[in-house]
Amino acid sequence: MTEFRRDPILGQWAIVHKTNSWKPEDYKEEKHEFTQEQTCQFCPGKEHQTPEEVDSVRKEGSHPNDSNWQVRVVPNKFPALKIEGETDPWQEGVFEMLNGVGAHEVVIETPEHKKNFADFTPEEFLNVLQKYQSRTVDLEKDKRFKYVTIFRNYGNSAGATVEHAHSQIIALPMVPRYVQGELDGAQNYYNEYQTCVFCDMIEQEADEKERIVVENDDFISFCPFVSRYSFETWIVPKDHKMMFTQLTEDRLKSLTEVFKSTLSKIKSCLNDPSYNFFLHIFPVNYERQESFHWHIEIVPKLTKLSGFEWGTGFYVVHTDPKDAAKYLREAS
Amino acid sequence: MPQLRKDPVTERWVIIATERARRPGNFVKRDENLNDDSASDCKFCNSTETAILNGHTKVISHAGSFLSTDQKYSHKGKGLYDVVSGFGTHEVVIETSEHVANMADFSIEQIKYVLEAYKVRMIELQKNKLFQYIVAYKNYGESAGGRNIAHARSHIIATPIQPARVAEMFHGAKKYHREHGKCIYCDLIKQEKEKNERVVFETDHFIAIAPFAARFLFEITILPKEHHADFTGNIEGKEGDLALMLKTMLMKFKVGLDDPAYNYVIHTAPLRHDREGEKWKTIKDDYHWHIELMPKLTQVAGFEKGTGFYINSIPPENTAQYLKEVDIS
Repeated sequence: MTEFRRDPILGQWAIVHKTNSWKPEDYKEEKHEFTQEQTCQFCPGKEHQTPEEVDSVRKEGSHPNDSNWQVRVVPNKFPALKIEGETDPWQEGVFEMLNGVGAHEVVIETPEHKKNFADFTPEEFLNVLQKYQSRTVDLEKDKRFKYVTIFRNYGNSAGATVEHAHSQIIALPMVPRYVQGELDGAQNYYNEYQTCVFCDMIEQEADEKERIVVENDDFISFCPFVSRYSFETWIVPKDHKMMFTQLTEDRLKSLTEVFKSTLSKIKSCLNDPSYNFFLHIFPVNYERQESFHWHIEIVPKLTKLSGFEWGTGFYVVHTDPKDAAKYLREAS
Repeated sequence: MPQLRKDPVTERWVIIATERARRPGNFVKRDENLNDDSASDCKFCNSTETAILNGHTKVISHAGSFLSTDQKYSHKGKGLYDVVSGFGTHEVVIETSEHVANMADFSIEQIKYVLEAYKVRMIELQKNKLFQYIVAYKNYGESAGGRNIAHARSHIIATPIQPARVAEMFHGAKKYHREHGKCIYCDLIKQEKEKNERVVFETDHFIAIAPFAARFLFEITILPKEHHADFTGNIEGKEGDLALMLKTMLMKFKVGLDDPAYNYVIHTAPLRHDREGEKWKTIKDDYHWHIELMPKLTQVAGFEKGTGFYINSIPPENTAQYLKEVDIS
């Protein structure tokens, strides 16, 4: 048996398997192949092979672009967008376009070539989150930017081309479609019910309990009732007013606890799958919208999309989110 | 300079980033074992299921599908969420009795039979008033979501809900029509023909274009030149011509792109039944049915999944030119 479930924010539908729900071992396993450390441009000693760093976490007494670092943020060598240029759109008949202006940076998360992000120490993990924060604050100063996207691709089938642990930051001259969809969806919901849809969602999750993976005082991670991907997991701050860029170090430590534990569980439960995560934070240089609530979405890459999904936008989810959450809760 | 391009119908932005093309590739590995299995144990060669339609093709009901008419249609609320039972149909079109994997290797005649099967089944399914949408699509190759069976087939699914991507196109087209009094797809065809940069191939009734804001490398849109909202209402008598179009484009993929996995999807207008109201009345003027043809060459990464932006490293003008020159004779 299956059911169609409607996402209350974006309005899109997922098709969820209620019976014959797939177990973790029913998904095809993916092997991660590591290239040799010698050819890796993200390893210490290869600093000159990347563009010069824009931010870092370094040992005391070390200098930018030398080898004594814990985290380095560098411009992407093959950027999707370029920093120079105007952002005025122009038209050609039915078509509209603008210069591909933006920033594309890489966060090299550790000097250790083979270290898995889920196995970072809490301090190492926190260092990375702090760089997400400081880069967002810095990029916001460029008034041409409307959004800062922070995301991570792990494993070849999730789109990673380099094995050495890293995430990416792309600053965009517009608010991307899915975030705009969430902003609009949250505002519509707010207009109708005078409450935040994300707060209502975590309240329903807290009542029903069955889809929660981990939680502490500040954050909750759960497999959403309307997931698009099997084992999709969200991390949402419990305090509606908390902005990502304004999190104190204590709150970031609290996030580290839930975030790292969730990733470790995904790693052990699904045998180190490829995955993506992305932060849906509030846009930058943008009028404050009280109805929005930032969060993190983690999507393991376990199946391949078919023409049905591409063509319709319906997503087929093979594991009921409540079963997925149970497997994840039981994993270490 | 990279460019941001907006799809005129769905208003989705795409980044055309030529710099990325220099990056060490993250290309999908070819489905090497796609042609390994033999005809003797192929479930489609030896299909014993009752045929819904039988002839040059065989249409069967997909037994283990995520949708079935055995479930009663129901719509209820669960707190924040709307829940509809998994009611629907899923049919499999076994496209040929021969053990052939890729439609590109069919005769034009055989592709025509497949299109006729879509037409006949869709006309039948649209009589059921519980259905809001019918989609016909194909997955060729494992990386395009197909199972590893080397026997060509495609799928027809009818759902009680209008899918999000269809709603997007349908709203975009409606908006344009309200503002300009014309069909956006007709205007787009006119503009592409004049400019002639992204047109890959034309037949009497159809045109294949590399879309201006292509999400995927070598993505193609096939449109009927004559305005029509519905596949079933338009295809009669043109099946052979569309078969020639499909055969040509699929051969160009096979020869020019080294037999890639691919998907195609037929996008037709939502079913109106006898619904009244402005929204339903104008569909036949707003909407223009078409086919999306997408080779699976790269992986979709976190940026795309998180933002809805697609990064495409080769401009569609270049992919169109390349495909145009692929010699399939």
